[in-house]
Amino acid sequence: MRTRLKDVIESLIFISLEPLTLEKIKGICTEFSEKEIEDAIKELTENYSSNQRGIQIIQAAGGYLFSTKSEHDQWVRRLLKLEQKNKLSHAALETLATVAYHQPITLAEISALRGVDATHSLKTLLQRKLVKITGRKKSPGRPLIYRTTDRFLTYFGLISLNDLPTEEEIIKILDEEKNPD
Amino acid sequence: MEEAREYQVNLEVFQGPLDLLLFLIRKKKISIHDIPIASITREYLDYLDRKGRINLEREGEFLLIAALLIYIKSQMLLPRESMGEEEEDPRNILVSRLLDYQKIKTASTLLREKEDKQMRLWQRTAPPLQSNDEYELSEVSLFDLAEAFLTLMKKKERGNFRLINGKDFSLEEKMKELIDLLKERKFLDFMEFFYSQESIEAALVSFFCLLELIKTGIVIAVQKSLFDSIEVWLRQEIRS
Repeated sequence: MRTRLKDVIESLIFISLEPLTLEKIKGICTEFSEKEIEDAIKELTENYSSNQRGIQIIQAAGGYLFSTKSEHDQWVRRLLKLEQKNKLSHAALETLATVAYHQPITLAEISALRGVDATHSLKTLLQRKLVKITGRKKSPGRPLIYRTTDRFLTYFGLISLNDLPTEEEIIKILDEEKNPD
Repeated sequence: MEEAREYQVNLEVFQGPLDLLLFLIRKKKISIHDIPIASITREYLDYLDRKGRINLEREGEFLLIAALLIYIKSQMLLPRESMGEEEEDPRNILVSRLLDYQKIKTASTLLREKEDKQMRLWQRTAPPLQSNDEYELSEVSLFDLAEAFLTLMKKKERGNFRLINGKDFSLEEKMKELIDLLKERKFLDFMEFFYSQESIEAALVSFFCLLELIKTGIVIAVQKSLFDSIEVWLRQEIRS
């Protein structure tokens, strides 16, 4: 019987601990063309997103991974004996948004944009590995420069930084808020 | 927390001086590009009056903005020779700051929605079982751990230590730190964890913690193959 590429990819994603990238799949399934691989992934993810399944394949941080569906959340939590995952605090989220949209950025720049000191929330974000230090700025005091991590992408279900809501979308929402009907 | 949390505008998400300003701007439904500073400051002062008691630390932030507003307004009123061409309208500084901040606020609301959605999705975190003959995850003995620890201490000693700070390390604190870290990262590379300790004392205390946690069955230490690095995992049922 001929091996079905779709099934191979399914097993690869299954066994991966981290999001499995397209490049990796291509590197492994060398017998198949890029087109065949892409089609197979598409078919596979479509199979999973049909209502026949309890799990799905999602795309995050540039790769594919298995995930439960949101409607099964409460049962999964019962198994793991977890109340709910810890959400980011308002301050941390705002700081994170600042980093995400203005990276690379220094602490002083973040604080200036938010209008409040961001030392504490930045520390939280570093601990949760949602941001990382990537170097120092060539300016007086050589302050540290921060960027978001891959974990940040997975955390919010983003494929890449380009997947963040765009400036236009944000401005549109702002305008709507200003003139509610 | 660095925010002035207690300030309550009767709307959900606002906090901090810029928020107050934004709130006032929105309430008056004025364009952000044309802020009539006088009426905003008046409104702000009214708010302070109504409040009666002022918490200096908190209101200081607001006052700073109010003062900034008045300053900007005064700059606007004073006649200037070169006004218009070279000098920037002082309001622009505030306006662009506000705009930037508004964008961030909106962005964080959008991110929050994504977070909410993502929180209800779960991914496997345990290592998949290796059916490969080459190596099998095996629980390591106390001796393996101790040996690894000694190798590490030797390496650490060779490092450039300048000063030993007279710091106290509490077992409980370290243990909590370790568990928190494990909850966050699912597993730790034993070596990496000790390297990250700032001093020998800290590394020592961490090692004791680890032994204690293994003894009480809260964590499990596994090794993929002989001489491989040792990984520390939080036991699944403890995660709650």
